[in-house]
Parts: sequence; structure tokens; C-alpha cells
Amino acid sequence: MERNIRISGYSISHTDLIRFIIIAALTLFCILITTFSISRDLETIYAQLFYFPIIYATYFYPQRGLYFAGGCAIVYEMFAYIYIFPDTGGMIYVTLQALLFVCIGAMVAYVSEKLNTSESQTRSIVEKSQLGIILFDKNDFSIRLSNTHLEHMLGYTAEDLAKMTFPQLFATQQDQQRFYDALGPGEEIANFETLFLTRKKEPVWVNLSWNRITENLISCTVVNINAFKLAKLAADEIDARYKQVSDSLPTSIIIIRNQMIVYANPSFTAFSGYEPDELLGKDPLTLIHPDDQADFTKACQLAETPSLPPARSEIRFLIKSKKTRYATLFFSTILQDESPAVLINLVDIPERESTQERAQLDKRRKRGLISTFAYELRTPLQPIMGYINLLMQDPEKYGVTEETRLILDRCAKSVDRESQIINQMLELSVIGTGKVSLEYTVFSVPELLKTIINAGKYGTEATITIDVPQDLTFDADKKKIATVLDTMLSNAVKYSMPPRTVQVIYRSSPGDPMHNLSIKDNGIGITDARLDEIFEPFSVPCPGENNMKFDKIGLSLAIAKKYIKLHGGYISVDSIKGLETTFGIHIPKQRPEEV
Amino acid sequence: MVRKIMIVEDDQPILDLMDLLIRKLGYEPVLVPNGLEALELIKKEAPALVLLDIMMTPINGWEFLEKLRGEYGMRQIPVILFTASPLVDEKMEKMKDPHLGVLTKPVSLADLKAGIARYLG
Repeated sequence: MERNIRISGYSISHTDLIRFIIIAALTLFCILITTFSISRDLETIYAQLFYFPIIYATYFYPQRGLYFAGGCAIVYEMFAYIYIFPDTGGMIYVTLQALLFVCIGAMVAYVSEKLNTSESQTRSIVEKSQLGIILFDKNDFSIRLSNTHLEHMLGYTAEDLAKMTFPQLFATQQDQQRFYDALGPGEEIANFETLFLTRKKEPVWVNLSWNRITENLISCTVVNINAFKLAKLAADEIDARYKQVSDSLPTSIIIIRNQMIVYANPSFTAFSGYEPDELLGKDPLTLIHPDDQADFTKACQLAETPSLPPARSEIRFLIKSKKTRYATLFFSTILQDESPAVLINLVDIPERESTQERAQLDKRRKRGLISTFAYELRTPLQPIMGYINLLMQDPEKYGVTEETRLILDRCAKSVDRESQIINQMLELSVIGTGKVSLEYTVFSVPELLKTIINAGKYGTEATITIDVPQDLTFDADKKKIATVLDTMLSNAVKYSMPPRTVQVIYRSSPGDPMHNLSIKDNGIGITDARLDEIFEPFSVPCPGENNMKFDKIGLSLAIAKKYIKLHGGYISVDSIKGLETTFGIHIPKQRPEEV
Repeated sequence: MVRKIMIVEDDQPILDLMDLLIRKLGYEPVLVPNGLEALELIKKEAPALVLLDIMMTPINGWEFLEKLRGEYGMRQIPVILFTASPLVDEKMEKMKDPHLGVLTKPVSLADLKAGIARYLG
């Protein structure tokens, strides 16, 4: 079968010629024998000789062979009639013989046609296949068959290939060895990639798949993958270079595909504390702080829109040591192994972590520091205050004269003031920030004012008019409001100019949600520039101004502001320099619901 | 009989002062310079009230208080924290001890009198 299929243009006509000669020779021989036998009355024995050329011809050329059979029948009959005529029985026999020639010819032609059709189909499939096809012997590797596609692919002719063995096609010894190893036990091998050499000794990448079709024959398909392979090699080289770059980058890089980490550079492994093989295949979300997972997922999705610049996000990572680390992430989409993946560039922000921790630590330190300060400042005041109290309680026992009593009284006031300043400082410091609770009660405002004025003896220093409804009540923290009012009145008295007048005025319409209480003095006034500053604790006085007077305000206004703010209100201040100052206290009439 | 007030305080100038102030207020002072000694003496002296400094060694005021209320089982004896530290109030409020008060230094004679009177009438 192989021999037939290998026939190409030139060799077919050559074979035809040989067959034609064979048929002609056989026919001539048959005619001679038949003529001879008939003339000797031996026709019944030798007519069957015609079967040989008929079978031969109809087998190879079914259609023309049949004409040939008919021709043979006619020739045979003509010769036979010449000799047999007028023997009727003999003539019928000869006619039947001739008909039998045609019948046999037809039968063989039919069978041959059938065989040839399937054979030519197979031949055509192999020949016209877009794959290179090669058949070789399993034992000596001689090439038994190749198709034109393969011949074109490698630049060989069928004759060249017929003289070669299959392993000779391989480019290198190593490839040959790989082939022998692969061939060994395997009946079928698919996608064996190797290099072949063309006739011009140029290397060609091919993909081989083979299987055994008979005991000794192996059929192998050869696919040219040269272009693909070269492109892939080039891409691999780029990948390798890119990997080399990213491996040595100080910033962390990870690539995520299908919700999995497919690449993490050494900087990232160092950042995360995980080993590279622990990271690969891991869901990146397991590394993200739960509160930041939504942001992370969103950023990944945004990165998939190529028109946008790399998305950027600050994300908390949970590293292997269970600690949280902050990083700024830059998301972008890349192609990795021909499918889209998200590349994340990660910049560690170690400062952030420490900033928060430091802030906490600072707050604790500050509390500790302020607490220690207060402790150290207050402790020495105790004996001073105690002994002064003692001396003044028992003037006779300790020989205290009236003059010394006055001195001691001034000392006591200084100690009081010192103590008060320390308390105010604490109130405004981090230690005071925790105390935000207000104790709400309903109290009478005119009564509270009276109490404060009496306690501070403000009435003796200034004329105080109170324009407040007698039944006015506040629903607020009485103690804190008292402190605020005391501050306001004390300042008003202190900074008014003789003859000192201070007015306390309440104004509010029924629709107004706020109580508006103002304390107005005829004082030195405050410049606009300083209006905001007076509420700032520890504020630095304006250069060039005579600030000494304001320094004495100390921290009380800042505390007043804080207390009123706690109530949900505010303090207003309005001043005409050298004429008057009005402080307004505004607090909600309604107690806040949550209190 | 004059009631005793125990003053647990490691600052000698203040102990000296308290000696006079407590006497002036009409009580008998028991001056103790540290918490451990105070615990040793407390059963024997049986004071009506303890004025307790916080920042002391080897045990601080809180530790003294814990032992006093716990091991020593003296849950009823009034204790006034006598301190200059501003962080005491918060902690004291959390303890919800009805027999525990605080006086922040510097304490005037009048405040001291009032503070003690709250417990001893």
C-alpha cells in the first residue's frame, strides 16, 4: 500500500507504462495461446488465461479495464467463431465464456473501485492535510511516508525524506535523546515540542504528536510552531527581565489574578513576613484588615478599567506576626501569561503606624507629665497653706499681730490663686478632656447671680444692674454655669473703668431656642484683633500691645468657653475699644436629648 | 475620748503639718510614714478615719486601700485620699466605695475640717 501512495506525478506515468506493457504482453500471450488451442480443439482449457490481463487491468484501471475486458471478449469470440462455426453448442459455450470475461472484469472493477475510493480518500486527507504527517518505522526509524505539507515545511522532497530516518530531522543530539526517551514506553505522545532542522539547516520549532498505527509503524503529526514559539520565547525573555527588575525593587509588588496572588516580589515577602510559597495562591483579602477589604476590592475593580490612571489607596495589611502595617497601594492592570491581572505596587508607610502609636503614647505621657507637674506644684503648697491657716486660726498662740495677719492673708490669697491656676490648667489639659459629663438641674438664674455677686463681693467694687426676669430658670449644669458667670462678672468688674458699671441683661423671645444672657461693662474694651484670642488658653499676646491687663484673664475665659460649648451653646463678645465690652452667653433652652 | 485619725504620708513636712492641723481640729493624729507600717498599726491603733496619701513606696495608697478593704476586712473605716495627683478622682469614682473620699492638696484647714466632718460628724 505504501508503495502505491508514494506515487507522485512523474512516477505514476512510469508505473502506468509498466502496467500497460504487462497487460499488452499478457493479452498478446493469451491471444496466441487461445488461437493455438482453438485450432487444436483445446479451447476449453486455455480461454481462462484471459482472466489474468482482465483482472490485472480492471484492478488497476476499473473503467478502462472494463472496456479492455469487453474488447477481450469480442476478440476471443471472433477468433472462436472462425474455428467453431457452425457448431451451435460450441458457439453458445464461447459466447458464455466471453460474457464471463466481462462479468469477472465488472466484478474486479467494482471491488477495485471501492478499494481505490477509500484509498484515494485517505491519500487525499493525508496529502492535503494542513498538518505535517510522517510515518516511520518503529525499529529502524526509516521514513515510510510524508505529505507535501511536511515537505514544504522542512524544504525536503519526498525522495529526500525516503532516504532519511526520522531522528535525522532533529536539530540537536539532545532533542534526539529527548525523543528516544519519550518514545520508549509511550504509545501516544502529544505536544512534544522540539527543534527540527530544514534542508537549509535552519532551525524550526515544531510540535510533535505521535501514535502507533501498526505494530511497527508510527504516525506522527508535525505542527510548525516556530512563529508562536519565538514570540513566546521573546515574551518569556521580557517576563524574565521584568521579573529580574521587580525582584530587585525595594518597593513591594504583587500580582493578583482570579482572586489569587500569582506573584510577590521579595520586598513584599519581607513586608508581609510570609514565605513566597505561602503567598502564592493565597486570597489577597486574607492579608487585608477587615475594615479595608471593601476598599481593596473596589480599587482592584477600578484598576480593571484601563482608561483610568493607577488607582491609589491606603490599606492596612495584616502581616504574619498578626501586626497591622500601613501601605499606600497603586493598582494597575497588566497582562500576565496572556490574561489580565492586577498589579499592585505597595509603598510601606511605617510612619503612620508609629504616628498613631506615638500619639497614644504621647497622650499617655502627657497625662503622666501633667499629672506629675500638678502633683509636684501642689504638694509644697500644702504646708504653706496649712501653716498660714494655723497661724491665722490661733494668732495669740503663735504671736501673730494684726499687721502679720494682713500679710498672712495676702499669702493665703496667693496660694489660693496658685492652686486655682493649677486646677484651671488641668481642666484645659488632656486630663480635663475626659470630664465631659454635665450634671443637669433646673435652677433660678437671678438667685445664682446674687450668690456669685455676694461671694465675689463684686457689688462693692462696681454698680451692678441686673435686668433678668425674676422667674428665669436654666436647665443646665449649675456648677459650671456658676463658674462661667463668675468669670464674666469678675472680668467685667476688673476691666471696667471708674465709675464702674456692670449690666447683666437677659433677652430671649419665646420662639428663640437659646437663652441669651449678656454681661456688659464700661471697660477698656478689646480690639477686634484680640477678640478671638482671649478665649485661647496659653495664647501668646500680640506684639506691641499692652497685653499685661489681658494676661490676668488667665485661663478662665477658655474654661468658660469650654463649659458653654459642652452645653451646646457659645459665647459671643462685642467690644468698642475704650468704651465697653459685652460678653454674651448663649445656651439652648432645651436640654439635649442624649443627656 | 479623743478619736484617732491615722495619717499615712511619706512627705515629712506634710506629716509635721498634719500633726498640728489634726490636733487643732480636736483629734489625735497617728502619723505613719508608709503603707506597710500603717497596716501593721491599724488594728492596734484603731483610728476613726485614715487620711491616705497615694504616691508612696513601698506600697502606694491604692495598694494600701486594697489590703485594708480586703485582707484586713476593714470595709467600714472611712478613708480620705489626701493627694496632689489630679488623676485620683476618676479612679475613685470607679471604685464606688461609700466610705471613700478625696481631698486635693493643698487643703485649707476649713476644707480639712469639713472633709473629716463628713465622716466623723
